[in-house]
Amino acid sequence: MEPREILRLRQDMIQGGVLFYYCGYVTEKVLAAIGDTVMDKLELDHTERPVARGLFSLFVEQVQNIIRYSAENQAGCVDERPVDLRHGMLAVGRGAEGHYVLSANAIKRRDVERLRQGLDHIRGLDRMGLKAMHKEILKGLVPEGSKGAGVGFVDIARMASRGFEFDFLEIDQELSYFVLKAHL
Amino acid sequence: MEHIKLEPTKRSPGIDFDFASGIFSMSGESYPEDVNKFFGPLIGQLKGYLSAARGATIRFSFDLIYFNSTTAKVVMGLFEMLDEAAEAGNTVTITWFFAADDSNMEELGEEFSEDLEHASFEMVPKA
Repeated sequence: MEPREILRLRQDMIQGGVLFYYCGYVTEKVLAAIGDTVMDKLELDHTERPVARGLFSLFVEQVQNIIRYSAENQAGCVDERPVDLRHGMLAVGRGAEGHYVLSANAIKRRDVERLRQGLDHIRGLDRMGLKAMHKEILKGLVPEGSKGAGVGFVDIARMASRGFEFDFLEIDQELSYFVLKAHL
Repeated sequence: MEHIKLEPTKRSPGIDFDFASGIFSMSGESYPEDVNKFFGPLIGQLKGYLSAARGATIRFSFDLIYFNSTTAKVVMGLFEMLDEAAEAGNTVTITWFFAADDSNMEELGEEFSEDLEHASFEMVPKA
């Protein structure tokens, strides 16, 4: 990347209302550090407590989703310690209507349809429906991952008071980029 | 059984399991890196205690600020275990503390308690 391009990237981010942006390998350590920083920023901005809490929940679920499922990863051993780095993108931002958390990671193209159906199903549920599904998964009545949707996505749908959107963008023959934007 | 006391960290809750007096609590934030590693041994000990308890008075309080979806599964499992202990003849009271302005945490308390049939349950808002 050319040094000059950085400035354009920065301007794009500012225009998009981005408060925080990360692109690269995501680990639990990164999650903890970014989580703290995002909360500090929201606090400095005098964000209402319920909003800050909601954003933090969305953020954790979306980051852990990347850590668990990104198909763009590099695994091996460092000092005999197993390491599996998963690549993804994160942004927390603010628009005219409210805040958002955006996450993106590569997934295998053969997983796209299952995930799309799962998310469509979740998006079609009302509050009571989400609550019922949430409980069914917690009680183990619906196996995690069936219908392409784990408890994390149901949680995201419940926390995202202004809904969520998602898309699958083709990367190559094998991979698609899964983008999820939750609004609060 | 040995009294278990774990200090809260940024990512894992404070745990106080006083088996001798039947008083248990979990408080703070919970989104541990590895949920099973953190909760597995604790649940194992609690399960052992509950299955042996007869006519005991057991109080379990949840005073959580935030927990992630994988922790939610653990909490659901705890409610089920405690309700079974109540069914077996123990007096079980579960208390759910939540920040008064946190409707999500309030709703989760209601959700977890819905299926309780034998244990008593109380919700306590905090200022």
